[in-house]
Amino acid sequence: MKVRPSKRSQKAALIFMLPATGLALNGCAEKQVEAQVFSTPDECAAFYNPPEQCQAAFAEAAQLHPKVAPRYANKQECEADFGPGQCETAPEQHQQGSFFMPMMMGFMAGQMLNRGGLAPAAGQAASQQTAAATGRNPVPTQPLYKSRDDRNTFRTASNTAVASQPGSTTIRPSAVQPKPAALARRGGFGAQAAQRSVNRSYGG
Amino acid sequence: MKRHNITPRPGWQDFANSVGFTFHTIDNEPYWDESAYYQFSLQQIEQDLETPTEELHQMALDLVPDILADEQLLRQLAIPEQFWDYIAASWRSGEPHLYGRMDFSYDGKGPAKLLELNYDTPTSLFETGFFQWVWLEDQLMRGQLPQGADQFNSLQDKLEQAFAQLPLAQPFYFSSVTESIEDKGTVDYLMDIALQAGLNCRYIQLEQLGDIEGQLVDMDGFPINGLFKLYPWEFMLQEDFASTILTSKTQWLEPSWKLLLSNKGILPLLWQKYQGHPNLLPAFFADKQPVEAGWVKKPLFSREGANIELVTASGQRLTEDGPYTDSGYIRQELAPLPKFGDNYTLIGSWVVGDSAAGICIREDNSLITKDSSRFLPHIILD
Repeated sequence: MKVRPSKRSQKAALIFMLPATGLALNGCAEKQVEAQVFSTPDECAAFYNPPEQCQAAFAEAAQLHPKVAPRYANKQECEADFGPGQCETAPEQHQQGSFFMPMMMGFMAGQMLNRGGLAPAAGQAASQQTAAATGRNPVPTQPLYKSRDDRNTFRTASNTAVASQPGSTTIRPSAVQPKPAALARRGGFGAQAAQRSVNRSYGG
Repeated sequence: MKRHNITPRPGWQDFANSVGFTFHTIDNEPYWDESAYYQFSLQQIEQDLETPTEELHQMALDLVPDILADEQLLRQLAIPEQFWDYIAASWRSGEPHLYGRMDFSYDGKGPAKLLELNYDTPTSLFETGFFQWVWLEDQLMRGQLPQGADQFNSLQDKLEQAFAQLPLAQPFYFSSVTESIEDKGTVDYLMDIALQAGLNCRYIQLEQLGDIEGQLVDMDGFPINGLFKLYPWEFMLQEDFASTILTSKTQWLEPSWKLLLSNKGILPLLWQKYQGHPNLLPAFFADKQPVEAGWVKKPLFSREGANIELVTASGQRLTEDGPYTDSGYIRQELAPLPKFGDNYTLIGSWVVGDSAAGICIREDNSLITKDSSRFLPHIILD
């Protein structure tokens, strides 16, 4: 008997279109890691950290600040969230003037500061190993902010609360990944579809 | 090529709904229609459809450098001048293409006649690659079809292979127009296959695409370095983000050079270069003359049968309204769709990469196939 190759797919299976299977994409428990939070480089150094490392972490955060700080179309809207006198002009212009952003109120040091004489905490040792294994620290060094109605809490640019006092804190790395400030223009595609809204599909 | 009636699988609608195929019935009219199927011989499939599909595909690809080298042709195809260099670069750098579908008028005898190339945003992919495939397996299992019945449908296998092999940016994004459930269904299916091929893929609504300093970005402001868009290139080139296309570091599926082939102007160009080819119909760029008997007039850019005007050999005029009135036209000799009972039947032939990958069948009560035309399954059985 002559066997000829089939003209159809060996399988036609679906994974995520099947409601019953439900992929657990976010189901993995993420390990918390240790990071340090300070208002100033001097405060950092006062916690038995090498001053030059504190200065370097501060500089890194300050450089990131104008890239990630939340943007407001005017000063009033910014101060409504961050308090009077707590906002500054952002690098970008819009048609009516400058964008505004909150001032940087502190920084989070992701890389391990060599604390003079202090043994690292257990969690820190573990995350140090992880960082060495993966070749990068899971918590990027970044600027922190304080909102108008909660002056104690340090928050990331995307409004994740990370600590209510200077020093060590534990966080989930995925919650503190810096993102570019939300300045994107949107809605630049799709106008023709809206205008020609006749067909069910824009394919063919 | 024959049309047979068959009993639909009981409860198929529930299964369709459960896999997201909710547009199987539209305004109480069947879109997926399994009350009948078409039967082809293996020879009809291989000699009359598969081989010509791959040959025509190569002929079309061969035209791309000809068009890019000729400003007059680019103007005839209504390609905006500020994108000529961009499209040429996308072709010269070998930006990969994923898929396309050509539509044929074919009655089982004689050469299939190419009606058009849907080479930018072809749909009915899920219906072909998955739902039609499952229909065959089910009906074989139920004993409703003769054992040994096969189907020309390697679409899902070939798409999975393409996603695994193409050099695609990761994560790779998929996008469609928010309001179109049908287009979301097509994109969901492609993402499902891409996921099975190991690709890191994400969905973003077309209207939500962002621009930061000329780079296309996702909702979090991260750059989009690879994007499948179920949205016509000729629309994109007219919209606010048209200039973003020129500056954004984004790999597109389909790539921009596909705009030259999805254009109906490719039909007269194919005829100019390969006049007399058995699978081609005489075609010309249209002048202002009214449509003569035995000819069809089509806009350079149109989809789903919109804005088509045809006059049968006996002088009967058929027109289909639509939103594509702002480009040039071509005329093509009419190759009337074959009639099976009361149905006019059109064959869509899929191409993945450069290989023929299966067929789908659409039926309509009129000579013009539209988005409302019914989709029928098929088998191969000698």
